Amino acid sequence: MSFLAPLFFAALAALGAPILFHMIQRQRTEVIEFPSLMFVRKIPFHSLRRQRIKHWVLLLLRCAALALLIAAFSRPFFSSNALAAVTGGAREVVVLVDRSYSMGYGTRWERARDAARRVLGNLLPDDRATIVFFDSGAQSGARSTTDRASLLAAVDAAELSAGTTRYGPALQVAQGIFEESDQPRLEAFLISDFQRIGVDSAANVLLPPGTVLTPVSVADEDQIVNVSVAGATVQRDIFSGRERAAVIARLANRGDAPVTNLQVSLELSGRELESLPVTVEANSSATITFAPFTLEDVAMPVSVRAAADALPLDDVFHFTVTPGDVVPVLIVGGPGAGDANLYLQRALAIGSSPSFSVTVRAVDQVTTDDVAAASVVVLNDVGLPGGQIGAAIARSVEDGGGLLVALGERVRWPGDALDLLPGTFDAPADRDGRGGALGFVDYSHPVFEVFSTPRSGDLTTPRFFRYRPLDPHPDATVLARFDNGEAAMAEHAVGAGRVLLWTSTLDSFWNNFALKPIYLPFVHRLVEYLAGYSPPTPYLTAGQVVDLSQYPGAAHLNLTSNLMVRDPLEDLVPVESDERAGFIELREQGFYEIRDTDAADGESVTIAVNVDLAESNLERVDPQELVAAATGRAAGDRSVTSDRELLPEDLERRQTLWWFLLVGALGFLITETVVSNRLSRTELDVDD
Amino acid sequence: MATISTLSPGARFIDPNVLSRIGNLELVARWVVEGFINGMHKAPYLGVSIDFAEHRGYMPGDDIRRVDWRLYARTDRFYVKQFEADTNTNFSVLFDVSKSMSFGSRGVTKLDYGRFLAACLCYLSTKQRDRVGIVTFDDDIVERVPPSAKHFDVTLHTLDQMDAGRPGTLGPPLYKATEFFKRRSILVIISDFYDEPEKVLDAVKPLRFAGSDVIMFHVLDPAEVGFPYDDSTSFQDLETGRKIPVVPDKLREQYRQLVQDHIQALTELCGRNRIDYAFLNTKEPLDHALFKYLAMRHKLTKVR
Repeated sequence: MSFLAPLFFAALAALGAPILFHMIQRQRTEVIEFPSLMFVRKIPFHSLRRQRIKHWVLLLLRCAALALLIAAFSRPFFSSNALAAVTGGAREVVVLVDRSYSMGYGTRWERARDAARRVLGNLLPDDRATIVFFDSGAQSGARSTTDRASLLAAVDAAELSAGTTRYGPALQVAQGIFEESDQPRLEAFLISDFQRIGVDSAANVLLPPGTVLTPVSVADEDQIVNVSVAGATVQRDIFSGRERAAVIARLANRGDAPVTNLQVSLELSGRELESLPVTVEANSSATITFAPFTLEDVAMPVSVRAAADALPLDDVFHFTVTPGDVVPVLIVGGPGAGDANLYLQRALAIGSSPSFSVTVRAVDQVTTDDVAAASVVVLNDVGLPGGQIGAAIARSVEDGGGLLVALGERVRWPGDALDLLPGTFDAPADRDGRGGALGFVDYSHPVFEVFSTPRSGDLTTPRFFRYRPLDPHPDATVLARFDNGEAAMAEHAVGAGRVLLWTSTLDSFWNNFALKPIYLPFVHRLVEYLAGYSPPTPYLTAGQVVDLSQYPGAAHLNLTSNLMVRDPLEDLVPVESDERAGFIELREQGFYEIRDTDAADGESVTIAVNVDLAESNLERVDPQELVAAATGRAAGDRSVTSDRELLPEDLERRQTLWWFLLVGALGFLITETVVSNRLSRTELDVDD
Repeated sequence: MATISTLSPGARFIDPNVLSRIGNLELVARWVVEGFINGMHKAPYLGVSIDFAEHRGYMPGDDIRRVDWRLYARTDRFYVKQFEADTNTNFSVLFDVSKSMSFGSRGVTKLDYGRFLAACLCYLSTKQRDRVGIVTFDDDIVERVPPSAKHFDVTLHTLDQMDAGRPGTLGPPLYKATEFFKRRSILVIISDFYDEPEKVLDAVKPLRFAGSDVIMFHVLDPAEVGFPYDDSTSFQDLETGRKIPVVPDKLREQYRQLVQDHIQALTELCGRNRIDYAFLNTKEPLDHALFKYLAMRHKLTKVR
């Protein structure tokens, strides 16, 4: 509440007048003549100080009347919608209900729905309301409606989702509704468990001034007990010529108490293979390794499931296990230069996802079949072979293959194939002393991206003593330079393929790169990039939309044919074939199976979907913090500092309080008159 | 304006404030008393009169005018008629004209009220052929009109002219007045009796012991009885001039109790000494007070 003329409150000092009147004015200075004080003298003397206020009712009535008069003159007005509550202003109410899967903890969801029903039940006839259910996105039914039945029906029909909590989208929906509303009072109720993970999304949302946001927390105050299957990795090996996979699952206990003998089972295609007990300490994690199983040629749906607790959705982790990918690599070296390929060969021999099938050929022994079978050709210190081989390599690159050229002492490049390279190179150049190092690396490039984060490999440690200076073509991209500015690696696109030129050797002759630990991942990334390799996706997260045209395991599907999806709820849904062909929204946790019903073989694609495990972190945020962020003022502060446009009648209505105060003061004065008259009369009667 | 009360059938009571506006005391007395007497004939109580009492045999020396000749005619013996009372008596008013009697909170002072009362009683006595007189006193005798059948007018004049201006006391003047009443008389003392009850009786008893019938009219103003003051202020004694700061709210109840105790004590002491005592509040109609007193006196007479 604010006042138009607060200076009038100085007149409150006048409240002392009635008190003085009651206490001081009563003392008369005149002397009353009395026939005889014979009896008075017999009565013990009473000090005047003991005579205080006699008529408390009169005093209070007078003070109240005076205070109300002063308050009326100070012209109070409600700067918030609180006045509207008094004067019956209608509200625009938005009820935001969190339905993320963390609300499935215990009875939170039921309590949230009950809270929503209570809010809807308290609506006044003129109020308009919208109910919004949100997780990472927000969904609303009928907006700004007075139909209570439909709102309650929406609450009854609402279900938990597998999504995560994000307050931003929900608050944005409320913001939009409020901005469109012409109701004088804006009020939002946020019913949630107030997880901290969802707060960041609300950072840039500010509800319209004057909005009252009331948080309704359904979070449990008791100790949290929640173990989640945080992930799983697959360790592959070859046993009896067949590839086997051993699943290692990781479990996280986010509660404050240890969990002992928790049964965790491994399921393959819905059948339980193995079940093991595991103990997880409080606020800790543990791993469990299951016995390996033999892989098949197709993607196999695998689930790791822990015994259900209060939050069941994060107790299972789904993924698919596919047979290991193999990238064929052809290494072409100089005749009799086996040592030059040693490091490269050894490095590519290591690795399981993908594994590399390496073929080493001398430049004079390469066949076109070798070239055709390889996804990546490495010309290690040799120039482009002439004749059919050279043409086959160039054609392979244009068709999407990869070519890595390592410039050494013996490289002689044919003049008619210079376009295949990203630049022209000169005779070897030496670096003095300790040699040079890489001075610039384009970490945004896929080859170097994995080294961009701290402690993920230091590319400046290798020392380079000799290199071939390169003059890059204008269309070439220099990905790395030595510390003297010369190019160390350049890329050049040829047709659908790529050519990478490394201006030093890949062995230990001109540098010591091959002796550094970073050499192996560097070579792996080089080959994977050139081969266009993308690792299989074992699982996706609920809420994602998968594009089948880009999904690695769905390359064989014809997106224009009749595709059907069997979702985790066992519902068969046709894949949309219109402008959003091939897009599937993954809403539920579990396995989606996509099958081409027109194809003869009926081979299906299985996509595993898990909930976002960040949601299983039930750490709470103070609801008032969120309210303050969304409204720009402290929670519970219903005052409005807004410049929300108000109609003149609204402004007038906000200031009509002084009328009530004036009427109240008048009432007090009338009562005071009646009471004082009666008191006087009563005293006279007593005297008579 | 006359106010009709239902206290007694036929009794017509007159507001003292009305009487105070009538200058002629005789008129006041006649109005009150005759109205009162006229109302009395239906009342169960008859007033004091000289009624026949008994016959006795004639004794030598008796006045032959008192022989009942009719009885002689029937019995052939001489009998003399005896009456209840003497043919007449002295009636004197002892009027306290001390300063305290000038107090009046409702328009009529105690002095005025007592003046009307005395006039009425004198008129009544004159009607009964008594001799009326008056003695006014404060701390000494101020005026004295000896009882006489011809002193009614003088008595009224004295009543009319008296003034309350000095402090008073009861003992010395009443003791001195005892000298005036050698014959058996009816003595009416009109005062506010501001003294201890024992001292009051000590002052009055000599009159009683001289053989007179003493009637004490205790006249007080309503303010003296109820103490209806609100505000804390100083009170000044009219006679002594002494000022006392008073918080009326604190002492009102005690004051009222003391006054009642005082009246009660006077009543008891007077009864014990065969002195008639009547308390009169100046807010009550005068004839009402007169009626109340005469009714009481008649009752007491029967008891005696």
